[in-house]
Amino acid sequence: MFTILPGGADALRKQSLRANLTGYAFISPFVIGFLVFTFIPILISLYLSFTNYNLFNDPQWVGSFNFKKMFTQDQKYWNSVRVTFIYVFAGVPLRLMFALFVAMLLNTKSRMVGFYRTVYYLPSIIGGSVAVSIMWRNIFNEQGIVNSLLIFLGIPPVAWYGDPNAALGTLIALSVWQFGSSMLIFLAGLKNISPEMYEAASIDGATAPRKFFKITLPLLSPIILFNLIMQTISAFMTFVPAYIISKGEGTPMDGTLLYSLYLFRQAFMFNNMGYAAAMAWVMLIMVGIMTAILFKTSKLWVFYESKGGR
Amino acid sequence: MFVRKKTALWMLVALLFILPACSGGGSTGGASNGGGDDKPAQESKGKKDTTTLRIAWWGGDKRHEYTQQIVDKYQELNPNVKIDVEYAAFDDYWKKLAPQAAANQLPDIVQMDISYIVQYAKNGQLEDLTPYIGNQIKIDDVNDNVISTGKINDVQYGVPTGVNVLGFQYDPELLNKAGVDSIPENWTWDQYEEIAMKVRDAGYVMDGSMAPDIFFHYFLRTHGYSLYNKEGTALGYEDDALFTEFFGRLARLIKEGAVPSQEKLTQTKGILEESEIVKGMGVGVWQWSNQYVGLQAAVNRPMELAPMMGPDMEKGLYMQPSMFWSITSHSKNKEEAAKFIDFWINDVEANKMIKGERGVPISASIKEAIVSELSEPEKQVFDFVAAMEEKSSPMSPAPPVGSPQVIASLADLVEQINYGQMTPEKAAAAFRQEANGILANNK
Repeated sequence: MFTILPGGADALRKQSLRANLTGYAFISPFVIGFLVFTFIPILISLYLSFTNYNLFNDPQWVGSFNFKKMFTQDQKYWNSVRVTFIYVFAGVPLRLMFALFVAMLLNTKSRMVGFYRTVYYLPSIIGGSVAVSIMWRNIFNEQGIVNSLLIFLGIPPVAWYGDPNAALGTLIALSVWQFGSSMLIFLAGLKNISPEMYEAASIDGATAPRKFFKITLPLLSPIILFNLIMQTISAFMTFVPAYIISKGEGTPMDGTLLYSLYLFRQAFMFNNMGYAAAMAWVMLIMVGIMTAILFKTSKLWVFYESKGGR
Repeated sequence: MFVRKKTALWMLVALLFILPACSGGGSTGGASNGGGDDKPAQESKGKKDTTTLRIAWWGGDKRHEYTQQIVDKYQELNPNVKIDVEYAAFDDYWKKLAPQAAANQLPDIVQMDISYIVQYAKNGQLEDLTPYIGNQIKIDDVNDNVISTGKINDVQYGVPTGVNVLGFQYDPELLNKAGVDSIPENWTWDQYEEIAMKVRDAGYVMDGSMAPDIFFHYFLRTHGYSLYNKEGTALGYEDDALFTEFFGRLARLIKEGAVPSQEKLTQTKGILEESEIVKGMGVGVWQWSNQYVGLQAAVNRPMELAPMMGPDMEKGLYMQPSMFWSITSHSKNKEEAAKFIDFWINDVEANKMIKGERGVPISASIKEAIVSELSEPEKQVFDFVAAMEEKSSPMSPAPPVGSPQVIASLADLVEQINYGQMTPEKAAAAFRQEANGILANNK
């Protein structure tokens, strides 16, 4: 194998090689694993995105055809983009607001607080799993608890997963409900704000809302940024709830056809592996751009104490 | 963060090591895999002269259970054969099979579905069974119409495990409550609509609508057409008025309240317990005969089966193979595999365990032999299928490559009609365009 390396400086290389051999040996499981299971598949998927591949025949090179088709001909694709953006832009802020609200409730010195923290975190431990999605289906199904409540209140029941306007709402509600992990991070952030700040503000006569907007939010803003980015990325990739709730079809009227679900349908139901790979790459770029935008705009609203507020 | 030069070199070396092994999964990977398969077979042959067969199927728990029992029984009777089993639920099964096919690692025997068999056959994954038919696989007691369902372009790629037929599965008592004594013999689509309206007036619903692809296909056949053309390169009908008539009627029944709203249908789709008939609010269901036993158990009231409506039911009706057994082309033990398929079709004891769970058995003598073992609903199904077998015509060619996408597109459009978002006329034109676009790839 070494003959293929460019010649010269061989002795030097050998020496440092020997010195570092142990190190390389120790990291080799990771490096090999990374190459075989992550890096090479990434390259292959990039290659496949320029091909027509149905798993049976050899991939055929079609250039940018998949991307052209995606952007100019495929209405369903744009629909899935639209649905995903609604899901992300409605779901993530709601989730973070809810998480912050609960975190502030749990940031008190009550005796039962440990218990409550565990309970509120539970949905996230089981979060995203198939079981939760099935439970959610049952809560909102025809004779589920939500409809029973509506009937009790004299309101006609809603076919939550049958109504094109309501189905995505239930998915967003599910994502809001799984607020636990962001909540824990907020809680840690809240603990880091020194009580003296609030005391000083109280002495100056600040009201509770004023304290929240002038002390809590600015000091928490780096953590909000972190949560925002992490949650946005994961929201873009949401798959399981939409798959379970719509039986893998994105019904009704493609109202729950999230991007990843449409990608999955193209790949594993229609065997359009090349097209699905192209979709995956566009998704990667999309998420990258979103993250970049969040980072850029963060300069305007994130407050770092260590930099004296800049 | 940046990778150091030396590390980069090492990574390059590792890459060079790994790349040839991974890339070209089709050619090099396939060859080495084949070699891997050879070894254990040869070793064991040298020792005990046993052959190992791999078999894969999809299904639910009940099917896994009895299939394993049959496999055990076969191994007991044939100590020289060892059978490895692989099974999964329907969706997962195809996700598993496709990569195995891509890597030339398919099991010796695979359970095939009508909607996938063309794809696997066309891509050279399945063996032509003609040389085995009549030799290892005996089909003396099998109707020609039935065995030929496993043929694609006159090549036998699969042996059907059993047959199903379409029909109306209903609760006669509820129908009586609506003032309808019985389903008229040779009923027509108009009579169906009349009855449905009476049922609605009595405060019930007629059914849970019809699966678009299956029943539209039936409707086209009664008019002498088919959903796909023979070559599978385009739709098999020219006149969009047929589309408009069929889906217009279904949408009308929904609008009139004789069938639950599309909201409700979408919500309850695929959940037997939530369907109207199980709740005692609906008269019946349109579906395949093999689904009757499960439905009857959930409904838990006396039920009956009624034939499809006409005119020209005989032209439209066909025996649908519930599924096939196929032998894959790279199998090393094709003869042994064929023998196992024969056991499946012609062994009485085995079929007493199957009891028509994979469709009504294709062999006439087996059907007779196991009748005494059947429960009342199972007997109803056997009788219904036997009665319909005489009235059916040969099946249309199996759905072409790309049909799952065509069916998905049809289902989407029908949904839009039923939600009132699109007229049947517009949907007919849109379906033609989309479907022909997908099927054009088969040219």
